[in-house]
Amino acid sequence: MKPNTSSLLISVPSAAWVILVMMTVFTAINPRYFTLDNVVNIILQNAVLLILALGATLVILSEGIDLSLGSVLTLSGVTCVYVMKRLMESGSSDASAMIAGVMVGLLTGTLMGTITGGLVSIGGMPSFIASLGMMGVGGALALVLANSTAIYISNPIFSFFGEKLDKFIDLPLMQYLSMPTFIAVFVFSLVWVMLYHTPFGRCIVAIGGNESGARLSGVNTILWKWMVYVVAGVLAAISGITLAARLEAADSIVGVGWEFDAIAAAILGGTSFARGKGGIGGTVLGVLVIGVTRNGLNVIGVPSLWQPALTGTIIILAIVFEVILSRWKEGRR
Amino acid sequence: MDDRILIEARGITKTFPGVRALDNVDFELRAGETHILLGENGAGKSTLMKILSGAYSPDEGEVSIDGQRVELFDPRVAQRMGVSIIYQEFNLIPYMDVAQNIFLGRFPMKCGLLDHKKMHADAEALLRSLNMHVDTHAMIVDLTTAEQQMVEVAKALSIKSKILIMDEPTSSLSERETEQLFSTIRKLNSQGIGIIYISHRLQEIQEVGDRITVLRDGQFVGRKAIHEVTVDDLVGMMVGHSVKEMFERDPQPPGAEFLRVENLSNGKRLHNISISLHSGEIVGLAGLVGSGRTDLARAVFGVDAYASGQVYLFGKPISSQSASVMVEQGVSLLPEDRKNHGLALILPVAENIVVSSLDRLFPRLFVSKDKERSVAMQYVEQLRIATPSTSRLAQYLSGGNQQKVVLAKWLCTKAKIFIFDEPTRGIDVGAKAEIHAFMNQLVKEGAAVLMISSELPEIIGMSDRIYVMREGRIVAEIPHAEATQERIIEFAMGADEARKTPRQAGTIRTRTSV
Repeated sequence: MKPNTSSLLISVPSAAWVILVMMTVFTAINPRYFTLDNVVNIILQNAVLLILALGATLVILSEGIDLSLGSVLTLSGVTCVYVMKRLMESGSSDASAMIAGVMVGLLTGTLMGTITGGLVSIGGMPSFIASLGMMGVGGALALVLANSTAIYISNPIFSFFGEKLDKFIDLPLMQYLSMPTFIAVFVFSLVWVMLYHTPFGRCIVAIGGNESGARLSGVNTILWKWMVYVVAGVLAAISGITLAARLEAADSIVGVGWEFDAIAAAILGGTSFARGKGGIGGTVLGVLVIGVTRNGLNVIGVPSLWQPALTGTIIILAIVFEVILSRWKEGRR
Repeated sequence: MDDRILIEARGITKTFPGVRALDNVDFELRAGETHILLGENGAGKSTLMKILSGAYSPDEGEVSIDGQRVELFDPRVAQRMGVSIIYQEFNLIPYMDVAQNIFLGRFPMKCGLLDHKKMHADAEALLRSLNMHVDTHAMIVDLTTAEQQMVEVAKALSIKSKILIMDEPTSSLSERETEQLFSTIRKLNSQGIGIIYISHRLQEIQEVGDRITVLRDGQFVGRKAIHEVTVDDLVGMMVGHSVKEMFERDPQPPGAEFLRVENLSNGKRLHNISISLHSGEIVGLAGLVGSGRTDLARAVFGVDAYASGQVYLFGKPISSQSASVMVEQGVSLLPEDRKNHGLALILPVAENIVVSSLDRLFPRLFVSKDKERSVAMQYVEQLRIATPSTSRLAQYLSGGNQQKVVLAKWLCTKAKIFIFDEPTRGIDVGAKAEIHAFMNQLVKEGAAVLMISSELPEIIGMSDRIYVMREGRIVAEIPHAEATQERIIEFAMGADEARKTPRQAGTIRTRTSV
């Protein structure tokens, strides 16, 4: 095929166009928007959402949905900080308390994912229902454990994982690098390898694409379907812990609504609820669409009460655009 | 072809509630042969194929592979023993590349990760050995149907299958792709692989097959070498001389033209269809499953859009392709799948009957339960629907009574044109006769009936005229007096073309051409 404008349009994902258009608009309204500081800020603010959205993407690729991810994020942060604080109060060192806390947080996410996945794959329950139930359970546990408030933590080693690097390393340009971003990049690489270079990852796509076909090809669909939710739970825990490190606190309602941002990011990135279409590359762009919008509305001075309405509208328009573009692409095949 | 028997089935019987799908059927496949499985709709081909591939287990009888008796209780077990099946609906993963699809479940690994390099090299070699040219990096969704089929074949070979079952493999292939498939089949045969080939197309059967097994009504009719049989023999074997059912026919003089379809095409399953239907007429629409009969009914009724062509109602072209407009004008469709498309199973009989006439019965917005009940009662009595009351839920009625409820729904709309899609499938003999009697009654009162049926005796017994469809086209129009099962089958399966254009001289001998 000769390179021409229409093939360029095909090779660039729709979310990238949306980001480009919005950044142009925001910069036109307020030139302060397009500065290195602000772009770095957007990336830092959305690193946590990216980790969560990777989990959401994996679940959607397997033709399921996980509404409990926001609750798992909250609960994992709370258990992590709760254990850390208790250990520090009883005289443990910062390092050992942090390690124990992080382990407990990760375990929490694993456990939640194990239950959701078990209900879906062994119990045969629709993922919408199973994860809706777990969303309630996780949210309530977090409220109880944190006594309906936020648990503050002052542990310099733990806080390091939520900071920009200039706080710790006295070198030029360090203010542009942050630990959450590093963690997100590292997690993204791991998930990338898992999705495209291990049988597990391929089986996720196979289950989403054609479950009975996958089963007839000898894929253990029950096991792998279960594992998708476990991995999503672990990823939610990582994002919850990272968020707690950044805020130096675990808030008992911090993750409310995050599951929808995560799902929206996956869909914006071109992952489809049917047939195992999509991938995690697009999810990065999807997260950026949401991040760029939120940040831009702030910078151009939209009143905060109006922001959710505008964000929602822009997400809907972006998805409509993605659907139209992908139909058009299919038509050209 | 050698004489070694790869798979053998003996005395297979399989019953489903209400049907004996297979009755003491024998089958065998030799190494290196292509064995055709032939039979009408419902003859038991798919049931047999599912038993051989492990999807069903037989009630009686045994299956042996390489002389060893086996229990194929699961498709994966059958696969391990060398039996692979390629359904019309492929078992591929749409958004995964060709190589990964071939090796799904058995990925080559290196250092704990997928060995993409080896996977693509192996897939490439496998495809090349079959003279298939498919890019192993392409996603399945980007392939043509023929290419997807090749991937399925390659996948089956990659697990060392010796027995390949193909269910109507050419149904969506072009002529050239068909040729390519046949050359692949011959290549596989030459490697000793046995192929069970299910097809309706008499023409290609003669070209690709070595032997043929014919089933009829779940029974084994015969097994022959292809070169011993003529097209007429095959048609004869399929039709047989089944017990004559009695059909009360009450022919009416045809009146005004109620429905006319001109050159209707939808770009997919329907090509240039023209039919007409008059007051007082029962017109049969025959053809194999998948020939486009139901698609035609749905298009005419306005539920599926068509690209070109014109439908005329009572002599006037219709304004828009819409089912609600058709219903207003007096057209009705009694769908094949009455449980899902004809009825709301969880609603009472009365609501099912009035549901399409709410505007007419209740012009003042509110539904009167009393009126609903009395209107429904009138049809329950008229059609003798066996139900304790009109408030009985439709799901608790027998198949025959459910069909009567669907009919009542359309009588209630004062429909003039009735399209029946398989009106008596799964209905007991008594109710069947009643439905036929109602059809006669309808046309006597001046209505027009278009009846789709896979049961040839029903088509012949009831229809004043018969249209035969094949591959989305009307291939014949036969008046009642000239209709025989043989003639309809010949048109439906393309026997006329199989005789006219012998592709390989010598393999086809027919009474007409010899």
